[in-house]
Amino acid sequence: MTVGTDPPGSLADDLAGLVGREHVRVDDGALTAYARDATPLYTARPHAVVLPGSTDEVAAVLRYATDRGVPVVPRGAGSNLCAATVPLSGGIVMALTRLNRVLEVSPAELLARVQTGVTTAALSDAAARQGLLYAPDPGSRTVSTVGGNVATCAGGLRGLKYGVTRNHVLGLEAVLPTGEVVRTGGRLWKDVAGYDLTRLLTGSEGTLAVITEVTVGLLPAPEETGTGVAYFDSLADASRAVAAVIASGVLPATLEFLDRKCVVAVEEFAGLGLRRDAGALLLFGDDGPTGAVAGTLARIGEVCADAGSPEVTLAEDVARSEALLAARRCSLPALSRLAPLTILEDATVPRHRLAEMVDRIDDIAARHDLMIATFGHAGDGNLHPTCVLDPDDGAAVERSHKAFAEIFAAAIELDGTITGEHGVGAAKLPYLADRIGNDQVALLRRIKRAFDPAGILNPGKLGS
Amino acid sequence: MTTDRPSHRSPREPVAPAAPRKPTPGSGRESGPTPGPTPGPASGPGLGVFDKDLLDRCISCGFCLPACPTYTLTGQEPSSPRGRITLMRALESGDLAPDDPTLAEESSFCLGCRACEPVCPAGVRYGALLEQWRDHQWRGRDRPLIARLLMALVSRPALLRLQGLVRRHARPGRRPGAGARAGTGAPQATRRDAPEAASSRPAEPVSLMLGCVERGLYPAVSRAVRTLRPEVDVPPGQGCCGALHAHNGDSAAGAELAHALGERLPGTIVTTAGGCAAHLAHHLGRGRVRELSEYLELTGHRPAGRVTVDGRPARVALQDSCHLRNGLGVTRPPREAIAAVAEYVELPNAGDCCGAAGTYSMLRPADSRAVLAPKLAAIEAADVDYVVAVNPGCLRQLRQGLRRGGSRVRALHLAELLALAAAGEAGGSGGAGKDRGEPEAPAD
Repeated sequence: MTVGTDPPGSLADDLAGLVGREHVRVDDGALTAYARDATPLYTARPHAVVLPGSTDEVAAVLRYATDRGVPVVPRGAGSNLCAATVPLSGGIVMALTRLNRVLEVSPAELLARVQTGVTTAALSDAAARQGLLYAPDPGSRTVSTVGGNVATCAGGLRGLKYGVTRNHVLGLEAVLPTGEVVRTGGRLWKDVAGYDLTRLLTGSEGTLAVITEVTVGLLPAPEETGTGVAYFDSLADASRAVAAVIASGVLPATLEFLDRKCVVAVEEFAGLGLRRDAGALLLFGDDGPTGAVAGTLARIGEVCADAGSPEVTLAEDVARSEALLAARRCSLPALSRLAPLTILEDATVPRHRLAEMVDRIDDIAARHDLMIATFGHAGDGNLHPTCVLDPDDGAAVERSHKAFAEIFAAAIELDGTITGEHGVGAAKLPYLADRIGNDQVALLRRIKRAFDPAGILNPGKLGS
Repeated sequence: MTTDRPSHRSPREPVAPAAPRKPTPGSGRESGPTPGPTPGPASGPGLGVFDKDLLDRCISCGFCLPACPTYTLTGQEPSSPRGRITLMRALESGDLAPDDPTLAEESSFCLGCRACEPVCPAGVRYGALLEQWRDHQWRGRDRPLIARLLMALVSRPALLRLQGLVRRHARPGRRPGAGARAGTGAPQATRRDAPEAASSRPAEPVSLMLGCVERGLYPAVSRAVRTLRPEVDVPPGQGCCGALHAHNGDSAAGAELAHALGERLPGTIVTTAGGCAAHLAHHLGRGRVRELSEYLELTGHRPAGRVTVDGRPARVALQDSCHLRNGLGVTRPPREAIAAVAEYVELPNAGDCCGAAGTYSMLRPADSRAVLAPKLAAIEAADVDYVVAVNPGCLRQLRQGLRRGGSRVRALHLAELLALAAAGEAGGSGGAGKDRGEPEAPAD
């Protein structure tokens, strides 16, 4: 649905020759719509948006772009939260949403092969229809693409037991900026022939190559799931409970937390009957063979009670589980309604330092006079400090920049990191050297140059 | 339209990392990479096309994308709710010119089905934003001619009354003895929603809304409601509820007509059109308006009889009305009403828009059919005898689509199905059954 016409010989015309005119957009409206992703406060318009329909078309566009020195930013659903798909230098946004076919699901080999633009939920559903599980489940699963998940190494709520995207990618098809198509890894769990380029491209945020096809490993689907909730007087108690649960030899699929501010916000928003006086809420869940989950949940419940939880609720049926999970699912909706601007951030600290980190965040928020509530994946030490503010209040926006800089510094100081699952993108690039050091940053640049000598892929991000 | 090539970057030229979270000021309409004003929540005063607090709600998370039928068709961001809100923000801030062709195209391409609302974590009221957007885009001569004609037509009660003479919808006028006491000369209804039902005071009146489109196209629907629930009044002189206007760029007339109709229809308004239900509920208050299946459930109505085909229970699917489902959250009552008289079959995409979308099927027939196609495929795959609609636009869309495809499945309004069951009729299968009041639908 192209709006308007383009003079011959223009960028639009050249791209139309490569992918067909209806798959190129150069109208102001489209360039405005593709100027941003889900990250607040970042915007830059591209010159053109191109939607290739095949690996060959991706290669043709990349060859053209390398030839002309035009930047290319690959993009899935644009749901990332670190401005990884904002075209800072203009050029071409390459939206891969048309590559949306599930190519195969193999119960015999326990794997699935999908095109890059398939949503995570569609992959999970295709696996589930064969009685299989695709374990990663980022919060954005209904919208985000598998290619985007791989490019950012997305995490999710089941990381403690199942790991994150990188633990499930077996192989990739990707196109280098030169137009060369590479197939890394493949269909084997055990394959160590050469550098692990699959791992290198996982989390490379579209700076090294454009991923066009993904092969993922699957697991037999667990027979049942269950959920429980425990209140705590303080996050420190909840933190101790998390450590005690894992020390007791239980590795639950899910261990999520809401801090005091989140509990109040969720209760005001959804009226789920949560205890407003709670210092923290811990949500735990597990899956497994029939009959096994109830025992695990009971054990976790006991450990939580021993750690000082005044109230533990277990739900073994799906409906009741959904009700408990609602508290976690409502965190972002509840917070986003408090003010027009919501900055959802991401940092990780070692599990045992979770409470310490949330205390630091609370201090930072108080000092900068900001509302920052924190929820996240307690089992992984992965936190999502979320700041809500009025964008018209320039001073507050300025203070939020300072506050997040301090939050990332605090995470690093506690032996943690600046991002656990969202990625570096443009938003975290200024803090990257603080985390990995200048020498490693220089090494990343050398790797980037090996893949992308013309520097056209997602400039201004990783490796730049 | 920018066509300039970006400046050539030398291979080794380092790119400075972006300053953390600082939008670069710049004008949004120059060519080249233009870091423009943030298309996030608006800062400063805008054109005033939109309510700022409605527009500020969106956090651009993209959760709406998979729910959107037009995004599903194109895979392009401007055709998604998030993309359209970005366009609205650019219009409001002056970043895009008011006559920008993409603004015109996308405001028209949107079905207005509001499927994005239930999945939105931030609670964006997209339907309200779309009304404001179309108020801007479809002013005066910019409004499509068909929409203008229809709006003019339904704004004239005399013309609507004329349809009553030609088409035999439920006769306006109060029942003999109506208003004395609910249930006089009629099956006694237990009004669980009315606390005074048990008292000796007359219960508040219940008015059946005829609808401007339904009374002409499907007069059998209101007749069926009267046979099911004789206690409902059909007050005379009913006009249009204004939904048509609100969705076609005249929300002021939409509000005015809704309030006028509220004056004319005393008590609870029962409607057989999901779109009207949502529009009226928005303007008159949720408590005043009941869609038919909701009303039946609230009044403890147990659908009588069975609908059979060749001696077996008929297999019946439902097509949700988008506005009933996404606007009012009513999904269970129509399903339970069907299940009471037939074998209910849930379509995998029952909640997806059928593409009728008010005037959309007339304004954009090709897109409308593209949205309908997966629905028709699912109906055929489900091996059903009937598919039930709870909105006249959906009914027309389904009947035309099924007929075009030579399907043996028939589309019925819920009221017709329930009346069929109550009458103890055994529906045959197949064909366009003119025998039961299926009208000739106007040509596309």
